[in-house]
This record gives sequence, structure tokens and C-alpha cells, in this order.
Amino acid sequence: MKKLFKYRRTGLIGSPYKILVLNIVAWVIGVLWITPFIGIFMTSIKPFREVVLHGWWTISPFTFTLKNYVDALFNPMFSLSRGILNSFIIAIPSTVIPVTVAALTAYGFARFSLPIKKYLFATILFLMAVPQQMTIIPIFFLSKNLSLLNTYLGLILVHSSWGIPWITFFLRNYFSLLPVELEEAARVDGATDFQVFRKVVLPLAIPGIISASVLQFAWVWNDFFFALMLIFDPDKMVVTQMLPRLKGQYQVDWGLLSSGSVIAMLAPLLVYAFFNKYYMSGFRGWAMKR
Amino acid sequence: MAKGVRMENIWKIFMPKVIALKNINVDIRPGEFFVILGPSGSGKTTLLRIIAGLEIPTRGRVVIGDQVVVDADKGVFVEPRDRNIGMVFQNWALYPHMTAYDNIAFPLRIKKLPREEIDKRVREVAEALGIAELLDRKPAHMSGGQQQRVAVARALVKQPDVLLLDEPFSNLDARIRVTAREFVKEIQKKLGITTILVTHDQADAFAVGDRVMVLRNGEMQQLGVPEELYGEPANVFIANFIGDPPMNIYKLSIDHPMVKQLGVLEEINEDYKEVYIGIRPDEAVALPLNEEGHLTGTVTIVEYVGSRRYAKLDLGNSISMRTLLECRADHGDKVRIRVYKLHIFAPDGKRIRTLTLVH
Repeated sequence: MKKLFKYRRTGLIGSPYKILVLNIVAWVIGVLWITPFIGIFMTSIKPFREVVLHGWWTISPFTFTLKNYVDALFNPMFSLSRGILNSFIIAIPSTVIPVTVAALTAYGFARFSLPIKKYLFATILFLMAVPQQMTIIPIFFLSKNLSLLNTYLGLILVHSSWGIPWITFFLRNYFSLLPVELEEAARVDGATDFQVFRKVVLPLAIPGIISASVLQFAWVWNDFFFALMLIFDPDKMVVTQMLPRLKGQYQVDWGLLSSGSVIAMLAPLLVYAFFNKYYMSGFRGWAMKR
Repeated sequence: MAKGVRMENIWKIFMPKVIALKNINVDIRPGEFFVILGPSGSGKTTLLRIIAGLEIPTRGRVVIGDQVVVDADKGVFVEPRDRNIGMVFQNWALYPHMTAYDNIAFPLRIKKLPREEIDKRVREVAEALGIAELLDRKPAHMSGGQQQRVAVARALVKQPDVLLLDEPFSNLDARIRVTAREFVKEIQKKLGITTILVTHDQADAFAVGDRVMVLRNGEMQQLGVPEELYGEPANVFIANFIGDPPMNIYKLSIDHPMVKQLGVLEEINEDYKEVYIGIRPDEAVALPLNEEGHLTGTVTIVEYVGSRRYAKLDLGNSISMRTLLECRADHGDKVRIRVYKLHIFAPDGKRIRTLTLVH
């Protein structure tokens, strides 16, 4: 019994047996996770004929082609490049607006006292639990009455307000882990509350802000539901809406569909890759008390 | 330039019922190096934060120079940024994302001074504190002593009326600590700036302080120059808290033989059943048996502290005492104890008087 306890206490690091087990688990999950992507990627660089005749997992015959990508991007009916542009038009403001608003809100929650702070924060947590489907009808009518239906602005506002609660929650925890003495030092040094926020808190919270931004961006980019409900002009459709349309009306062009998917994945993937360093440290900072 | 700080009837109560400060009244003179000394939890940092404006007193008021900066009863509160104070925090609170230069320049940039003026003043203060070569470094690449100097520079660069130091030495090693104390004291005397330092370390307090205030559980115990605190402790707590090695303190009934041997009774006017008797290890010596003295005891331990030798003595009746040892004696030897100075306290802990015994 004593020995068992001791074994557990030494933890994962140090015991080669545990490292092996951990590696196997990690690899299994990793392979399972990435397999569908590999399949889609292979399909996307094969001619349509090969996919239909030999299936999507075959190595031979294998003819490399980029035709699918060209077709997907410049499809005369449903241009994916237009969809990507629209997605950027939607996703960038839908990231910047809620992160800015939520950062200020979160700082208020983290550092200032107001009478019903606890209840307000509880409300925010509660709002995070509301499913999209529950809100879509009121959102639809609200947009319609404000003449925001089928406009970029309408979708941006919906995404922004959807992002604010969870980003507030995320950043509040991040801010409250920052050492408060730095802010006090700045106050004594003559800074106003807003200067303290802008010159001391914000630079120190960069990893947290970037983490939140990356997640929000990916979330907005990948969203299908809100876009489907609120945008129906083909010229304004975002990339996730374009994808199913690439399927075609009478036959499914798998090559086109898979290359479209890969293209659509690219933006969030690049964002993750580019900000990986901050993103990871943001989460580490979030999870640990310093 | 230097301004005094006056605190009147300061109370601080943390809801629901932690009383951090009880009716503190202090008048700190312009240009004085004032030390607030107390064990942890005594409210000393709270008091400093009230002066800085980072905490608001529950009652009472604080006056810096002739400006009332906070008056809890009248609802006056001046923001910390408008008090013109410099503060050095316990962990120095340097902005980690800025270089030393930017850290020091921060208060001036906030004031929107012209660029050349900022540069001139930063370099001046950095030169004075001997950190001119460090200006491009970030806090993470500096030693503790260097970080402390940068923090002091940042506090001084805006030429504050009052400098507040919150345990500035506690994160430094013993060696650097001594130089850091000297450096802070020198700077303070050179600039003549009113300085308030908070510490739990009596060595820090006595090394730098012109006057020292001792706090305990939010109550002021004594306020005076270091010699007073050491020589005439106001109560048993101070007597025990100040001095190293600590004072030997006994609570004895007045018919105890030791009370008679030391001639305490003649000195007490009032009728007490018990008294506290305090003898500092440095104010009593253990001598050979043939010398004259007040008490006798047996050596149990001999210890060296610095250049001095102290003996721990057993006086019988389960009373032990630490004194200076000025004879060849070892474990088990009998010695005579001569007491030079005796502190007598009433049963409630208040000082009755300090006796100098002559032979």
C-alpha cells in the first residue's frame, strides 16, 4: 500500500513505464484525430475519376493534381474565394469588437467593486450556457426589425455579443492572476485607472488576449448556424455556407468538396500556428497561479 | 520640498470584524526617516497603504504637508496619483515588460513631460543610484539588489514629497541587505525627503530610522528614537520584541527570592502581587564565583554570537537566564551573575521603571 502510494507520488515524469503509456495514449488520440483530415487531404489532390473508381484511401493509382483547388476557389457559381473574403470581413471585426469590450468588462470584474458584481458575473456565466438554437428566433426578428438581416453588420453584432460573455469570463480569470502590486505601483506613479489598464495590465495580458482572440476567431470562422440563419445573399455568404453548395446539385464532386474543406480550414489553422507561442503561454498562465 | 505627514485617529476595520488599526496618531516631521516596526499582522503595511491612498481608513484623517489627503468622516479622498508620493513595494513591483529606463521614466511619461526633460531626469537619478549601466535591461535580467535600486529610482524620479518603503530589504540576502540599508539611508539624508519605512526586522528599523513606531495588533505600542525603545521599553511586548538576543523576562510574585535579591521591592510604590522583571543579556554578566553579584547560577550552554560569548544559566526553580559570559566557564560550572540594568513591568505589562544597579 505504501509502495503504491509512493509510486503515484513520483508522478509521470521520471518513470519510463509511465512515459511509454502516456506516449501510446497520446499517439492513439493524435492518429484518430488526424486520420479524417489525411483522408480529406488525399481526396482533394486526386482527380475525381480515381476517387469514384478506387475509393479515397488508395495509394495507387495516385495522380497528383491541384485542379480541385483551382475549381473550388474560382467556381463560377459559388466562388469560394468570395466566401473566404466574406469570412474575413465577418471574423475580424467579430474578434476585435468582443475582445476589446470584454477586456474592459473583465478588468472591471477583476479589480473594481460594484454593488451587485457577483450577480452580474453569475448572469454572464449563465448566458454562456444558453444554446444558440434557443436564441436564434429572437435574434432573427431583432435583426429583421433593425434592418440588419442579410448584412455583414448584423452577423458581426450577433457574433460579437455571443463572444463577449465567455471572453469576459476567460479574461477576468486571467487579469485576476496578474500581480496587483504592479497596478498599485502605477496608480502611485500617477496613472489614471485607464492608463493603468492600457500601459500595465494590457501589455502583461497579451498572451491571454491572444488566446481569447484566436479562439474567438476560429469559432466565428467555423460557425455555420448563425450565418445560415442570418445571411442568404450568395454574394455575402461566408465560407462555411459555401462549402455544402460545392457538393453540386445532381452529383457529389468529392474532390471539389474536400479541397474546399481544406481551404476553409486554412485560415484558423494558420492563425493557430502563427500565435501558437502566445496561445500556449496564455493557457498556461490561465491554468496556473503565479 | 519635504513635507510632514500627520495621521489623526486612524482606524481601519476590515469587514466583518477584523480591526487592523486602532486609533493611530502620529506626526511625522518633514525630512524625517520614520520607521513603522511590527510583527506580521500588526497592521503596519495597512497603515502605509492608507498613507499612499491604496487603502481608505474607516475613520480618521491623514494630512500630507497642509493638504488633507483623506478624511473618512468628511468624505475627503485624494487619489494616490494626486498625492505626489513615491513608493517602493515589497517585491519592488517593477513593470516586467519594460526596461529599467522605461520603468524609471514611467511616472514622468504619465505626467507628459517633454522627452528631453524625461531623459535628463532619468539619467540623473540612475547616475545617483549607480544603475546607469542597467538602463537597457529588463527586470528579469537584474539581481535583487539592482531591481531594488531601479524601484527606488522610479519612486524618486518624480521628486515626491514623501517616500514610502514597504519592506524594501526583506527580499535581499543578508550581505546585500547591509549595503542596501546604507544606500537608502544615504540617499534619504542627501535629498532630505520625508521617508516612511515599514519593516518587521528590528535591525532594519534601527539601522535607518530616526524615529521608530512599534505596532502590535493595530495598536501603537511605543514611538521614539531607537535608544528609547531599547533602553526604556514601554511594555513587556516591546521589551521582548526588541533586542537580540531577546530579553530575559520573568513573571514573579513579589515574595519570590529573586525579587528580593535584586532589590525590586523598594522601587515599586504600588501594591502588586506579581511583577514582570526583565534583564537584557547584554546588561548582565556571568562572573567567577568570588566576584560580587546579585544571583548565582549554573552554566548550561555557552554560545558565540559575533564576537560575544553568551551563557545560558540555570538559576534553580526552573528559571533560566541568558547573560554575557566574561569568565572561563563551561557546562556545569557555577557562576555569579551581576545585573547592571533591570526593567520592571506591572502585571498588565506596562513599564514601571528601569533600574540601574550599582555596585
